[in-house]
Amino acid sequence: MNTNVVIAGYARSPFHFAKKGALTKVRPDDLVANTVKGLVERSGVDPSDIEDLILGCAFPEGEQGLNMARLVVMLAGLPRSVAGTTVNRFCGSSMQSIHMAAGAIQLGAGDVFVCAGVESMTRVPMMGFNPLPNPALADAEPGAYMAMGTTAENLARKYQITRQAQEEFAVESHRKAAAAQQAGKLDDEIVPIKTGGESVDKDGCIRPDTSVDALAELRPAFDEEGTVTAGTSSPLTDGASATLVASEEYAKANGLTILARLKSVAVAGCDPTIMGIGPVGATRKALKRAGVELSDIDIIESNEAFAVQSMSVAQELGMDLSKANLDGGAIALGHPLGATGARITGKAAALLQREGKELALSTQCIGGGQGIATVLEAA
Amino acid sequence: MEIKKAAVIGAGVMGSGIAAHIANAGVPVTLLDIAPEGADDRDAIAKGALTRMAKADPAPFMSRAAQKLVTPGNIEDHLETLGECDWIVEAVIENPKIKHELYGRLEPIVKPEAVVSSNTSTIPLSILTEGRSDAFRSSFMVTHFFNPPRYMRLLEIVSGPSTDQAKLDAIHRFADMRLGKGVVMAKDTPGFVANRIGTFWIQAGLNEAFDLGLSVEEADAIASRPMGVPKTGIFGLMDLVGIDLMPHIAKSLLATLPENDAYRDIFRVEPFIETMISDGYIGRKGKGGFYRLNLEAGGRVKESINLKTGEWSKSEKIKVDAAEAGRQGLRAVVDHDSRPGEYAWRMLSQTLSYAAFLVPEIADSIVDVDDAMKLGYAWKYGPFELIDQLGVDYFADRLQQQGRPVPDLLEKARGRSFYRVEDGALQYLGVEGDYADVVRPDGVLLLADIKRQSEPLLKNGSAALWDIGGGVTCFEFTAKMNTLDDQVMELLARALDLTGRSHKAMVVYNEGTNFSVGANLGLAMFAANIAMWGQVEALVKGGQDTYKALKYAPFPVVSAPSGMALGGGCEIMLHSDAVQAHAETYCGLVEVGVGVIPAWGGSKEMLLRAIANKRRPGGPMPPVAQVFETIGTAKVARSAQQAKELMYLKPDDGVTMNRDRLLADAKARALALVEAEYQPPAPPDEIMLPGPSARAGLNMVVSDLAAQGKATPHDIVVSDALATVLSGGDHDVTEPLAEDELLTLEREAFMSLVKTSGTLDRIEHMLETGKPLRN
Repeated sequence: MNTNVVIAGYARSPFHFAKKGALTKVRPDDLVANTVKGLVERSGVDPSDIEDLILGCAFPEGEQGLNMARLVVMLAGLPRSVAGTTVNRFCGSSMQSIHMAAGAIQLGAGDVFVCAGVESMTRVPMMGFNPLPNPALADAEPGAYMAMGTTAENLARKYQITRQAQEEFAVESHRKAAAAQQAGKLDDEIVPIKTGGESVDKDGCIRPDTSVDALAELRPAFDEEGTVTAGTSSPLTDGASATLVASEEYAKANGLTILARLKSVAVAGCDPTIMGIGPVGATRKALKRAGVELSDIDIIESNEAFAVQSMSVAQELGMDLSKANLDGGAIALGHPLGATGARITGKAAALLQREGKELALSTQCIGGGQGIATVLEAA
Repeated sequence: MEIKKAAVIGAGVMGSGIAAHIANAGVPVTLLDIAPEGADDRDAIAKGALTRMAKADPAPFMSRAAQKLVTPGNIEDHLETLGECDWIVEAVIENPKIKHELYGRLEPIVKPEAVVSSNTSTIPLSILTEGRSDAFRSSFMVTHFFNPPRYMRLLEIVSGPSTDQAKLDAIHRFADMRLGKGVVMAKDTPGFVANRIGTFWIQAGLNEAFDLGLSVEEADAIASRPMGVPKTGIFGLMDLVGIDLMPHIAKSLLATLPENDAYRDIFRVEPFIETMISDGYIGRKGKGGFYRLNLEAGGRVKESINLKTGEWSKSEKIKVDAAEAGRQGLRAVVDHDSRPGEYAWRMLSQTLSYAAFLVPEIADSIVDVDDAMKLGYAWKYGPFELIDQLGVDYFADRLQQQGRPVPDLLEKARGRSFYRVEDGALQYLGVEGDYADVVRPDGVLLLADIKRQSEPLLKNGSAALWDIGGGVTCFEFTAKMNTLDDQVMELLARALDLTGRSHKAMVVYNEGTNFSVGANLGLAMFAANIAMWGQVEALVKGGQDTYKALKYAPFPVVSAPSGMALGGGCEIMLHSDAVQAHAETYCGLVEVGVGVIPAWGGSKEMLLRAIANKRRPGGPMPPVAQVFETIGTAKVARSAQQAKELMYLKPDDGVTMNRDRLLADAKARALALVEAEYQPPAPPDEIMLPGPSARAGLNMVVSDLAAQGKATPHDIVVSDALATVLSGGDHDVTEPLAEDELLTLEREAFMSLVKTSGTLDRIEHMLETGKPLRN
């Protein structure tokens, strides 16, 4: 890269169960605006320098509709000179926001960007209000519209991953998240939000008491003969995230706190019936572009859409799971679709700094059969 | 006085159920119980009752809105708040000392115009008011509900000599109009009316079953349908209410009954039953009673206990000749020369003569006693109606022959009957031996009365049309279970024509247990079996045409359902200008259960409603998806309120709490529409539907459900047909459909399904077992 791109801030909302959690009454545009506001204030960036707000969202309709990014600029009280665009790559949406900002910076098309993501899975249902698939494609390519749970079952069969192994993985995710929450390690990244007269400042999906025995009681959620349950799937979640992406030059000149430098990015398509394996192709490309091996990576944020999905990726890549998701993954924290990409990339950057490591990877799978990946290095 | 705020003290089964039902009437209720010692949450008992009720089946609440009207609390911290209440119901434990103490605390709190009533079932009012001030006595009465309070229609009200008449009237009116209760004014005597006779009946039924060596099945086969008593009979009823309760009820009755009361003669403690209780066989709430469900080895085998040996064996459906003889009338049952026949006579004769001895001691008239047993014990006929069925003289003579005492009232009735119809009016025999008209309260109109007084305007084997006055006709279904067939459609078409020529409005109503359980499946099955597809299609088309004619008739049509309104019975509501529903209406489009889809315009009407719903999310898909879910999963509303949530009822459709007021309310609604210069509805604007894309989307959902084991292979077939109709078939999203095109889609989908073996299997299974087949 000829112009270095850095992540100079990361924040998110608390994550809560959709439909029953603390954020059900919060509009998604308000939720992400509050997060963006928190990010901008904490980072110390001059808001008038911000070129664009690039906002990821997987189901941009209803309260998430129109060009939500532009509206969030206004809701967050940013100057009118800040532009806004809403992008959709399903679960990869807000990682895509970061990639687009990086590309723009390298083109010389701006110095500093807010790259955010949001999903209220309470207020806009998954599949949207008007699912109208192309009937011919639905016949020709069954994976195109396949339910995510079914793709997870397909992975379980392909990689011969047992239900018990998935449950152990899920329990570990909760254990790590609970420990991080207990130790206050999540507090800094959360921007509290007021709703119903209360301030919500903690995550709501983590179940510290869950156990392999408890999970073993659940019925399969997607296939009565299958192995994937609600307990080994990421929950439907309300949440928002935001990162500040800038040229290294701008960040240094303006005294911003640099968390990490972008080293490479990639996207890749795969068989949609096993969409969860998407991170493999994307990660291989990104590692090659960065000129490093997976074994060189110290910190990994590998999204947990499903336990079996994250495990299949780890198995295929030969990933050392002890480096992955140090503060828990989406199974415990939640997976507000459009918000996850910025969360895991911002988190990987923050962890590089906290743990004093050199190289980090964030990667996730995407419905329809895709993967996206980002390699970061200590700045 | 108007009741705007109420309270119930005592959050047990009865108290919490009463609170829930007052909330069903739309009145906020405070529900209090004691604060458990040392508890963190001092409202825990009342809150626990609310949690339990939210999950209970049958549900005490009619809607979620009603749930929110109940505020839990405890008598230590919240008794003062009852000062705002207009009606306070005490439903605490049956202990005079505890009740006295509570009344003492309430006395300074309640406002002067409020009513305090007790739900006691056993303690005389005279004892309850001992030591109370005159003011309290004038505000006090007994309001005795039956369990479960939402569903059992009887409310016995007992007043004392000092009870204020205006307050009595106010509670009577509220119970009638808002709680939907059939009120019986009982005297202040032990057990009041229904339990006095009911307890005697149960005891007589037990005694004679043991003495005559009947099995529980034999006894229950007699003490049920042949007498118009619910099929639980006596042993099944004991299981339902709790066998362990019986000794308590007996004890309290024995403590207060007159010295010479016949119950004292027949009361006995069966050692066999004592053993059952001590073994934990106390009924359905325990591990079983006289019947139990054996779940061993993963099965569900209904078993019954042998009254001689105490051993369990499979409970078989048995044919009891004496019970079968009931087809020739009740007398054939008690005359039957067999042990079950003798059982019927002994149990009935004791019970009926007991009842005849008790008028006027426990109630002013035989009508009150009959009403109490019908509303409180769900008997189809009251004791005096049963005597009429036996014949007064027959009954009196046979008692006499057996050397048993003949009640005065029965003697007075000799040569006559307790009820008669004179000039079309129903009359009853008063205690002085004179007949008097059975007077219905204002606002109560019964088709049964009209039928006594007039001939139908039209009639065939499945339906009838009546003139109910004021220029309004009443269309009545009359087939078994009020099923619908081509005869109903034929008569409905004629009824619409006649009403249009000579009347102002029509009401669709009947007094069956269920408004209608839908189309006559037997007929459809018969036609399908011999591949008379033309006839099947003609039946579908005939129904569509008739319901459409009803919708666009030049006069208002109001449907007034009560009980089940399923399939075609629900579709007629959907086509009506307005619905006046009894609160206990259970409606739904359940066609998929038998492998077809609503095709008398029901799919179309639901779709039009969903499209017109202003509160739905935008876009073409939400109304289609919503109706697909409602019909595709055969959702049945468990109350009229819930029917509004499911859109089977429109927001402005009326709800009547009291079954007996339904026809009058529906008639008034129809006449109000006439007054408002009724115009038939305009046909819907061009209907825009999303077409094959939506069908593909809905089918994906169903195939995911199938993978989860929540949909069967034939569900996929039926759902696809439903999706085809609701999405507009092959129409592109840019091409509008007309109403008739939707009807054609319905018909095509129905015909494609009815020719599949999966659907025929479902229909056959439903006819044979009454349950849906999951194929």
